[in-house]
Amino acid sequence: MFEILKNMFRRKLRTSLTVFGIAIGILALVVMGGIAEKLNLLVDGGVRYYSDKVQISSAESSFIASTPLRLERKKDLTKVDGARCVAASIGTTLEKDLTAVSFGPPPLIVAQEPQCDQYESFKLNFTDGGEFSSEETGKVVVGSDIVKKLDAKVGQKVTIRDKDYEVAGILEKTFTSPDNSVLMSFSDAQKIIHADLPEIIKTQIKANSITDGFVVYPDNGINPDELANKISEEVSGVKALGPKAFEDQIASTVRTFTSIIYGIAVISLLVGTLSIINTMTMSISERTKEIGIKKAIGAKPRQILAEYLAEAGIIGFLGGVIGIGFGSLVVYLVNGFMEQTGDKIFLLTPRLLWSSLIFSVLLGVVAGIYPAMHAVQINIVKSLREE
Amino acid sequence: MAKTILKLGNLTKTYIMGENKSAKKALKAIHKLHRLYEELILVDPKKAAQIEKRLNKSQAYFCKEKYELSYKAATGRALKKTKPAKGVVVHALNGIDLEIKEGELVAIMGPSGSGKSTLLNMLGLLDEPSSGKIFIRDEDVTAIKGHRLPEVRSKELGFVFQSFNLIPTLTALENVMLPLKYSKNKIVSKRKLAEDALKKVGLGDRLHHNPNELSGGQRQRVAIARSLVNEPAIIFGDELTGELDTKATQDIMKLIIDLNKKGQTFIIVTHNPEVAALCKRTIHMRDGKIVK
Repeated sequence: MFEILKNMFRRKLRTSLTVFGIAIGILALVVMGGIAEKLNLLVDGGVRYYSDKVQISSAESSFIASTPLRLERKKDLTKVDGARCVAASIGTTLEKDLTAVSFGPPPLIVAQEPQCDQYESFKLNFTDGGEFSSEETGKVVVGSDIVKKLDAKVGQKVTIRDKDYEVAGILEKTFTSPDNSVLMSFSDAQKIIHADLPEIIKTQIKANSITDGFVVYPDNGINPDELANKISEEVSGVKALGPKAFEDQIASTVRTFTSIIYGIAVISLLVGTLSIINTMTMSISERTKEIGIKKAIGAKPRQILAEYLAEAGIIGFLGGVIGIGFGSLVVYLVNGFMEQTGDKIFLLTPRLLWSSLIFSVLLGVVAGIYPAMHAVQINIVKSLREE
Repeated sequence: MAKTILKLGNLTKTYIMGENKSAKKALKAIHKLHRLYEELILVDPKKAAQIEKRLNKSQAYFCKEKYELSYKAATGRALKKTKPAKGVVVHALNGIDLEIKEGELVAIMGPSGSGKSTLLNMLGLLDEPSSGKIFIRDEDVTAIKGHRLPEVRSKELGFVFQSFNLIPTLTALENVMLPLKYSKNKIVSKRKLAEDALKKVGLGDRLHHNPNELSGGQRQRVAIARSLVNEPAIIFGDELTGELDTKATQDIMKLIIDLNKKGQTFIIVTHNPEVAALCKRTIHMRDGKIVK
């Protein structure tokens, strides 16, 4: 082992540059992977959340922008066969105007009528404080990623959309969308979306009669996607989306996007791999005579192979460690900066770090195969004649 | 004494039959065993009869062939090596018959291109003959295929080259430890063996020096220690004094003669008649043939 390290650093500059090349590739993988991991987990959370229910929004709404619905439409939805419980729900942005560019969904205000809570499978846990009762207004529960942005502490006030609310609880980290959401009572949220309406409409409609959408929980044994189709057919002016719609519209798009992100990182690593092949080929051609000596004194082909593969693997490992170190630093700094706006764009998961390290070592070993095979095939007599 | 004899008997059995098949050690043990056995018969014939029975089993292993063949370090029969060069076939070796006995110190001399180094490479299993056979301790090594060849090289053969051929990044001790690292034996105290080998060549105080911190003579001593460390049957020297001055040449040859006296077989290729004169036997080569 010590001998391998000695050999590696015979040409300090060359080896360091190669290690650095791999480090840059791994840094790219860690940083890009950090974004992809965040998106993936958000999507996974979404898939889980939407898996057993139907989301109802106005027919004019999209996933990004919503148009309010009248609360009385709930009657139409309840009538649909297979709907067990219908609750009005609101999801709107925390900031009135979106200023920052975001890689994930922006921080949201989320509210839902309490009557269907017993059917909800997506449970939340608290690190501090707890839930507020359904009758209470003026209270909020804050997601873990926006605690800093709002400077939220349990029992103290936070300002949202120019109004003060008391913090009832702080959510445990879920790595999905509740992390950057504020949960408030339905009636408080109604006031917020009412305030967002154009002036003409605002005067014609009362805050307590509107909603952003509904959540429909299906009866036992009813497929939520089928229920969504039925609602779309039977109830006019609404759009019903089941789990499949989320999967088709959001999840698959995001997954393609994350694959592209990984692809870019892998391309940068490919450059690093080529530089390992180059370095190892060079160093083996410089050490031809040594390899001949080792063979003459009894080194077996697999021992020679193992020595050079180990050397390439160590280059990969060092590159991986440095790349992960710098990548984590970049993520830490950027996330620290972005935390002020509640929009942490990177997520370093242990699986990302471990797989990056294993990947870099494997890459090194694979890159070392060709040069090491070359070393094995060196002719003893010819190599000993070399000066 | 009876216990000693039994112990020696078992030891000899291990050497001959076991994994660590070292004929030299076995021979030494056999000699000692015979001496002790004779002494015992003289002292107490009754006891000797009892022991003889118990020894019978061990003695079965002192098989005649092995005993005799272990004296032959290397045998080359009808060795030929042809090399194509610009459409003409050059006979680098043209029918060599040679037998080297254990404990010999042989010099191979001849003009450049006479086939000395080719012969050495053949006997040292670094190169394959085009035809003919080589026996090391009566084993046809030309029949050994690929993967066992390095093992034979590391256990049975040692090499000392003209330009020392030490690994520059390794210390003297690490260089000497290399053959142990590559040999199959799970020797626990590799370091100890390497230290002993360096002490044998008079470099006990230079263990941690890198080759570039040593003189030419000292480097060649390290190379000799490296060739010795696995206790090989034969050590091959290819112009091993070629890059040394007169004083260092004398020192190295003195060392080789000392080691030879202790039973180590050497085959040395040399241009230097003074070096050849110090050897017990000189083989002269010309045009790929042994001329005398």
